[in-house]
Amino acid sequence: MLLAILVSNSAGNILLERFNGIPSEERLHWRTFMVKLGADNLKGARNEELFVASQKSVYIVYTVLGGVCIYIVGKDEYDELALTEVMFVITSSIKDACGKSPSERLFLEKYGKICLCLDEIVWQGILENTEKERIRRLIGLKPPNPTEI
Amino acid sequence: MAQPLVKKDDDRDDEADYSPFLGIEKGAVLQEARVFNDPQLDPRRCSQVITKLLYLLNQGETFTKVEATEVFFAVTKLFQSKDIGLRRMVYVMIKELSPSADEVIIVTSSLMKDMTSKTDMYRANAIRVLCRITDGTLLTQIERYLKQAIVDKNPVVASAALVSGIHLLQTNPEIVKRWSNEVQEAVQSRAALVQFHALALLHQIRQNDRLAVNKLVSSLTKGSVRSPLAQCLLIRYTSQVIRESANIQAGDRPFYDFLEGCLRHKAEMVIFEAARAITELNGVTSRELTPAITVLQLFLSSSKPVLRFAAVRTLNKVAMTHPMAVTNCNIDMESLISDQNRSIATLAITTLLKTGNESSVDRLMKQITNFMSDIADEFKIVVVEAIRSLCLKFPLKHKSLMNFLSNILREEGGFEYKKAIVDSIVILIRDIPEAKETGLLHLCEFIEDCEFTYLSTQILHFLGIEGPKTSDPNKYIRYIYNRVHLENATVRAAAVSTLAKFGAMVDTLKPRIFVLLRRCLFDNDDEVRDRATLYLNTLGGDGTVVQTSDDVKEFLFGSLDIPLVNLENSLKNYEPSEESFDINSVPREVKAQPLAEKKAPGKKPTGLGAPPAGPPSTVDAYEKLLSSIPEFANFGKLFKSSAPAELTEAETEYAVNVVKHIFDGHVVFQYNCTNTIPEQLLENVTVIVDASEAEEFAEVASKPLRSLPYDSPGQTFVAFEKPEGIPAVGKFSNMLRFIVKEVDPSTGEAEDDGVEDEYQLEELEVVAADYMLKVGVSNFRNAWESMGADCERVDEYGLGPRESLAEAVNAVIDLLGMQPCEGTEVVPNNSRSHTCLLSGVYIGNIKVLVRLQFGLDGPKDVAMKLAVRSEDEAVSDAIHEIVASG
Repeated sequence: MLLAILVSNSAGNILLERFNGIPSEERLHWRTFMVKLGADNLKGARNEELFVASQKSVYIVYTVLGGVCIYIVGKDEYDELALTEVMFVITSSIKDACGKSPSERLFLEKYGKICLCLDEIVWQGILENTEKERIRRLIGLKPPNPTEI
Repeated sequence: MAQPLVKKDDDRDDEADYSPFLGIEKGAVLQEARVFNDPQLDPRRCSQVITKLLYLLNQGETFTKVEATEVFFAVTKLFQSKDIGLRRMVYVMIKELSPSADEVIIVTSSLMKDMTSKTDMYRANAIRVLCRITDGTLLTQIERYLKQAIVDKNPVVASAALVSGIHLLQTNPEIVKRWSNEVQEAVQSRAALVQFHALALLHQIRQNDRLAVNKLVSSLTKGSVRSPLAQCLLIRYTSQVIRESANIQAGDRPFYDFLEGCLRHKAEMVIFEAARAITELNGVTSRELTPAITVLQLFLSSSKPVLRFAAVRTLNKVAMTHPMAVTNCNIDMESLISDQNRSIATLAITTLLKTGNESSVDRLMKQITNFMSDIADEFKIVVVEAIRSLCLKFPLKHKSLMNFLSNILREEGGFEYKKAIVDSIVILIRDIPEAKETGLLHLCEFIEDCEFTYLSTQILHFLGIEGPKTSDPNKYIRYIYNRVHLENATVRAAAVSTLAKFGAMVDTLKPRIFVLLRRCLFDNDDEVRDRATLYLNTLGGDGTVVQTSDDVKEFLFGSLDIPLVNLENSLKNYEPSEESFDINSVPREVKAQPLAEKKAPGKKPTGLGAPPAGPPSTVDAYEKLLSSIPEFANFGKLFKSSAPAELTEAETEYAVNVVKHIFDGHVVFQYNCTNTIPEQLLENVTVIVDASEAEEFAEVASKPLRSLPYDSPGQTFVAFEKPEGIPAVGKFSNMLRFIVKEVDPSTGEAEDDGVEDEYQLEELEVVAADYMLKVGVSNFRNAWESMGADCERVDEYGLGPRESLAEAVNAVIDLLGMQPCEGTEVVPNNSRSHTCLLSGVYIGNIKVLVRLQFGLDGPKDVAMKLAVRSEDEAVSDAIHEIVASG
């Protein structure tokens, strides 16, 4: 299960969060934990450099993409390597939606499109689509190219 | 008022703090959502408003029921628009709002229409939305379409239906299980993602059908799986099949070749999954492990931190069970100590500490010292625990390891970290005698500058126990007395007690200790003064060099052999009166719960939390308890007390467990009773024991329990006489008999008249193992040889068909009730033979050693050779007798 996807700006303010199967009273804890993780480790990190941590039985993979920080939390089959795949899909789709690695502002401007991308990538905690081309077509309600299948 | 969304403007691209959602406010956005009701819909504007709503929701904002309903109804109007972008947003919005069952009906028909639409993408999205908001009734209506969708030629539609199936399986399993034929077909799909989703769903549907999963794995491991994700799933399912497969034999493990083949896959994810699966195989052999360790070793030097992390995490686990297999990776692992990712560095260090040999300890410690300063406390604790284990493994290295611990003790750190270090030092002092004096001095130095009251008091207590036993107790006094000057009242009081302990234990120090204690009489804290006064008066106040009597020592420093909870309860119930509080009235029985916890298998060494010289052993406590009862006073020395065995089910009205006390010529059953009904008071509680199936036992005494109030445990006893020195066995049936009185819950007073009642308890048995004490020997071979073969008895037994060799070994250990030595109770997987060494003390204080050799005779039959050596040949024969009749 993919438990959470969080996007924050470089100052640690949450821009987007999607939780799956985490009770609302525990969300603050996760939010704080991840923002602290980012504050401790992401300063000076290269664009899209992957970071990894584990807390009890869950894994966290996080990175910097332009002006935003992205955190993904998973457990069971979504271990650190599966999360790396998910992160790759998310970062490439966001870059695709924004045309480049987004600044915070650009991210917010393309917010609707990014929400649609995430909706195609993760559905209630399960990875659904993994190809950015396909995702781009799907958010425009266009069928995928037969060659991509 | 919310700011309108601003179009992209490159000039302002770098204004980091500018946000298109600046000042966004829920109320205003809800107002804006009214545009959804316009007769002439503006798709662009509507999309912008939905984006704002999504932004609010993704920020953790919640809508009230009314607000959500209003937005939901407005959003459903947008189905009128043919704009594709807007339709896509509408799908997301409905999912986010998750309307309630009575609202769903509004949107169902529009979604059903989309679901049967010719446009594939409408179908896929409508399926996802419908499945998100559907309930069982609606699901039966759309089931037909979903089954079709699973095998739809458009992969997006098929995936949507399959992922819906994964979610719906949680809520409506019986419906989803009907789709297995379609899902089975989808597993063969050419589209990689469809295959991945279908495989996940099919496995979930069939996970309880071992045969079906086996078949699924067999067919897929032969064919081709298209995506690395699906391949990873297949590896996991394969490991499950291997785990559950019954005929594990080294060399022909099913599917091992498949796993090994996956180590050469082009996707790193698959390689890692296969490597991990191999390392986690039950009873994995070194030959099987080698290829997996090799690929993990390669990952250790990968440029990708995630791969390094995954590899070192897996190797860390392997090191716990197969440290030798990981030693090849030590050089790569050492370079990870300086890894930027602290999780990787910590895992590398703890792995090295597990796999390192004695000669590498010093080098390793040097590396760790540099590393410790820049990691967080939580990682430091892991390292400290690993160092503790290493020190216990290589006691000769205690000097450098103890030095390391004392150095880090002086550095900055939180309570948990400091406690972990102090606990480690205490454990090392306890287990490695040579480390004692240096360890104590390190602790003394620590309390000179310790900011944690808890740790200071605990260390002072520990010093009081261990300090007087050292060669020069004198040197600790200064550190202890400094506390009286420099610390808070709690620590001062603890220091006074510790000083007094030195005075009581070391007669030569007594006069000087008295001088110090007298100074404490002027302390400004009551407790400190009271303690000093008590000690001065009881230890022989004139300060001359005299021996303190054992009674005084026991009174002052002996442990309180009653559970503190019981003491607390009794003190609360005590009403001040002429009659002083009698500590003997406090029940000594601990409640069942803590006992169960004590029996829990976690054998983590404890530090200060449970000092060894603290509470007396259970046997001592039982001995005191029994000797205080006149009826049992002449039974002689208590040989053994069993662990409590429950005689009632959990959560019944009365909870009763029994402890069997074995004397040379008697057996006493101690029934620990708890009344769990607040409205009842039980009086005159006895247990009526029927010993008709225990012929050699004759009841000689019974001690009833006068009163058993609610939730306050009490004991009643029944004693039996048995032939002296003979390990008589038998079955006893038990009936609890008592007078029950109603208690008025408002006043807590019981009625005067009671009714006699009975309560059936379970049977109890006295078995041969009750006459054997579990006493281990440190070196079995030496003990065996020094015992000599004079009283040795050897014989062979057939144990018949057994579930496994391990089960047979455990059965014999339980039958004899002896202490397994040198870890020989653990039977390696796949073994066909095993030797188990046991030691114990038989009734009459006769030492017994047993060597058991087991072998598999045919597929399941177990044969056993039993060799017994003891100090008395009759006892050796008795052991054979137990096995022969067991």
